[in-house]
Parts: sequence; structure tokens; C-alpha cells
Amino acid sequence: MAIAERATEPDPAASAPRTPHPRRRTSWRASAVVLGLVVAGVLVARIAGPENVPWLQNMLIIFESLMIEALPFVLLGALVSAAIEVFVPDSAFARLGRMPKALQLPSAAVAGMAFPVCECGSVPVARRLASKGLSSGAAITFMLSAPVVNPVVVASTFVAYRGRDTLWQMVLGRIFLGLLVAMCVGWVVSRLGKAELLRPRPQEADLHEHDHAPGEEDRWRRFSGHLAADFLFMGRYLMMGAFAAAALQTFVPQSVIGGVANLPVISLLAMMLLAFLLSLCSESDAFVAASFVQFGVASQLAFLVFGPMVDFKLGALYAGTFNRGFVRTVTLAVGAVTLVATMWIQVWLG
Amino acid sequence: MSVETVPRPRAEAAATPRHWSLPRIAAGVVLASWATMFWFVWLGGRSYYYLSSRTAWVIPAGAVLLTVAAIGRLASARTPVKESLSRRELVILAIFLLPALLVMILPPQSLSAYAVGRRPSFISGVSASAEDISSGSLTMLEVAGAQATRKGLDALAARAGDTVSYVGFVTRSESTPANEFFLNRFVITCCTADAQGAYIRVVDAPPGRFQQNDWVKVTGTIYPLGRDVIIQADAVVPAAKPNPPYLTP
Repeated sequence: MAIAERATEPDPAASAPRTPHPRRRTSWRASAVVLGLVVAGVLVARIAGPENVPWLQNMLIIFESLMIEALPFVLLGALVSAAIEVFVPDSAFARLGRMPKALQLPSAAVAGMAFPVCECGSVPVARRLASKGLSSGAAITFMLSAPVVNPVVVASTFVAYRGRDTLWQMVLGRIFLGLLVAMCVGWVVSRLGKAELLRPRPQEADLHEHDHAPGEEDRWRRFSGHLAADFLFMGRYLMMGAFAAAALQTFVPQSVIGGVANLPVISLLAMMLLAFLLSLCSESDAFVAASFVQFGVASQLAFLVFGPMVDFKLGALYAGTFNRGFVRTVTLAVGAVTLVATMWIQVWLG
Repeated sequence: MSVETVPRPRAEAAATPRHWSLPRIAAGVVLASWATMFWFVWLGGRSYYYLSSRTAWVIPAGAVLLTVAAIGRLASARTPVKESLSRRELVILAIFLLPALLVMILPPQSLSAYAVGRRPSFISGVSASAEDISSGSLTMLEVAGAQATRKGLDALAARAGDTVSYVGFVTRSESTPANEFFLNRFVITCCTADAQGAYIRVVDAPPGRFQQNDWVKVTGTIYPLGRDVIIQADAVVPAAKPNPPYLTP
């Protein structure tokens, strides 16, 4: 929530020109009424019994499951993000920014290997890195590579494909393609400045931490403020994405794409579309990809590389974090590079 | 809202009167609600309705982290300057609160017949090797996972005629004969969003006794026929839904 108390945050959101808008404030009494309405609504839902309606039951199960699985990772990402903001001096990022451009993107991509969380956790970290002074290209490269190449994801890919002839093609292909696509997209967005990259959060600028007593206590108060703000902000977008993914999983049977498995380019696009719609966690998507045995190595790699970088759930998170143009650019760039690379693999493997 | 960013001496800051901040309390309440939900799911034994045994550690970790975050937010809820909460933020917070409350108030559910056919039914990532399939008791997970490799299918074929006993839920279509049904379980590796269906055709079942979604225990003789597996039932009895309701490779 943007009840974000930003103390001395050098976030471009704060410095970006803001359109004055009258914001209607609420009172303690109104808050209590809203809370009462929420509780009443939930009680009504209990009496109505949504679990007795099959499609609603299915959707609720998947939605709740996605939220329960992803929220702790969002919190972990917010924790790292808050720690970077409060405890890491800006000079550290300035030094990284002085690295030769040719080294920044590969370094950021490889750094993703050291961040073992899924895609939901890497978004707040990338935002914070960019706002602290890391180049846009490096921050985005890190954000895109971490969910594909981190050790947990590599291990789960290995487990999903073990016993198959294609084991190493899938494991190494995923790592190589993940790094490649992340660096290419990082290069594409590297021309963007921070103000063009990050979506302003007006509330962030409005509500600042007011107590600036110097010392450790103040640091921890700021840390707590940033942690809560990032978590609640990302959480709302995760909720929207999880809801959309649950609806799609409920109403669109996965068998609908089976008919295109043998069509050269269409099969790649179909698996990318499926990854987008399913919005699976990158730590488990290999098990689902491996279940589509009718699709070849290239199509399954397209699923495994595209999904952790662009999906419904992430689309909502990106929309809340970055400017609209960025979301369009990153979607097209990830899609184009993944498609071209997997087409080469399809040709190479026959 | 004007923003004071000039640091003040500690004594002066301490002397400043403090006010309860509505935005911070609201954020603390939402965090605390989600923390409570995670504790509820963990301590209530509901973890496996949402996550697999591989990833269930996320729930206690989430409970602890969210509790710490909520305490941190509420502990800093008194501020020297009055802070207000916009109506928009209040509504967003209220909506974000809903899923946590729904999980706590609705009875736990697992994927059912509605999801069968909407999800893939080829199980990947099952750890059973051909050696595991060839010896010892044959689990439903091994039966499902045998389809992944040629060796697995061969090893499964060699078990034809063995007696097995599995628990699952019933599905049937309009064309299913009265004395047959499909016995189903879902296999999850992370959460229910990645569920894959495992099913076995049961023949010689009591006609008309079991309906869609009924949980049953089937004991009988197994006959793997390529990718189709049949159990000729000796006994089919009602069973309680197991916890966990899903299988995990």
C-alpha cells in the first residue's frame, strides 16, 4: 500500500511532476464501517456456500492457492527491497553504475542466479535497484533472469525432466535462453531513464516518514515502513493477477492447445500463450511443461523462458511498478527474443 | 501534504506530541490479518489443501514474516504529524483483506471432477524409477508416473495381475457403463495451480452406487494396457477425503 512512508527516498516517483488531485480523506469511523462491511460480506459468502458451485469452487481454490504460495515471496522481495533502501548506501550503486556497459548486463543476469525466489519477489527488488541508481537495463536484466536461472528453478527443471532423453537440453537450454533473453531485453530498455521506467506512486510522495530522529531506531522505523509499503503495493497487483489466472484456468481447458503441437511456429506461440495465461510460479512450471509431451523441446523451452518473464500475474505487477510503455516494450521484447531463439532451436533439433 | 525532511535533534523529536496514524494502523491490520490466515492454515492442518509437501514450508515462513511485518508496522503507528488515509486506499486495503478472510471462513476444498479434463493428465517429475515400479507395493503415483518413459511403461506392464488398493474420487461421463468409473487424484508439485490429473479406469464396480466426486477406496487387480490402466475391482468402499488430498512426486 502506498501508505508508504518514504523518508529520504531518492525515488523518481517522488521527484516526478505530480498532477494535483484532491484526495478524499477518510475518518476512523468510515474505516470501521468499511471493515464491518468486509466482515459482513465474508459472512454472507459463508452462508451462500460458494463451494457448492463447481466453477466458483475451482476458481477459489486456484486463486487462494496462488496467493498463499506467492505472497511470502512477495514479502521476501519487499524485505530485500527495504533492506537495500535503508541499509545499502547509494554510493554502492553509483559504483556499479560506473562499470562498463558491456559488463553491466551480463553481471546483472548472472547475479540472478544468486536470488532464489520466484518472479513475484524479483519485481520489488528490481524497482528498488533502479530507484537507487542502478541502470535501468541492469535492473531489468536482473529482474528477468532471476526467476529463470536461480538454483531452485534449475533444480526443479532437472527433477521434472530426469529420466528423459531431453534432460540436459531442457536444463541447459533454459539457463542459456533465460540469460540471453534477459540481457537482450535489458539492452532494449537500457536507453530508458528512471523517470521513464518507474511508474510514479503519488501516495509515496504524499505520505512520508515524519520522524527523523537520527540513529538506529529511525532506520528500523524506515525499514518497517518500506517493507509494509512495498508488500501491500505489490500484493494488490498480485491479487489481480492471481484472480485473472484462476479465472482462465477455470474456464479455458489446457487441452485446447494440443491440436497445434506439430505446427512449427504456432506451437511455440501456443506454449508462450499458455504460459502467459497459466501464470505459474517459475519453481513449478517445469512440471507442467514436461506434461505437454506432444510438444517438442523448443516449444517447452518457450513456455519455460517466457512464462517467468511475462504472464498475467506479472503483467499486473509490472503495470503497478513500471510505466505503461515499459510493460508493452518488455512484453514485445521478451516475446520476440524468445520466439526467435526457440525457432533456431526448433530448426537445429529438427 | 507538506513534507518535513530536515532531521531534528532527538530530544526535540521526543518532545513532539504523537498521534495515532490511521494509514499505519490500517496497514498493520491488513498485515496482521494475512499473518493470522497463514497461522490458521498452518496450525489448522490445511497447508496441503493449497501447497504440496515440497513447498508447504512457505506457510510457516509466511506466518512468521507477516507477523513480524505487522508488529513492525503497528509499533510505528504513532507519528508526530497527523496522517490521513484516502478513501481509495481504504477501499483497496479492504479488498486486499478479503482473500485472507475467505480462506479462514470457508471450509477447505480440493480440486474435484470439474477440474478433470481442464488440466493435463500426463504426470511429470515423478521420482519413481523403473526399478521402483518393478518391486514393492505399486502406488497410484508410480502408476501415473510410469507413463513418462518407455522403461516405466514396460515395468508397469510387468505388474499386470498384481493386487492394488487406491483412494481417489469418482468421475464418470455419459458413456461410462454403469459398472465402471474413473478413479482420480490430482498431483501437485508446488500449488494447486500446477495440478495434473492422474486417473485409473475401474471396472466391475457396484452399479449406480457411487456418484461424481465421491471419495472411494478401490481394491482389485491392476491391468496396465499401454497408457490406459484398468483395475478390476474386488471391493469398492466409501472413503474419507484424505489429507493431503493431492499426491506429490
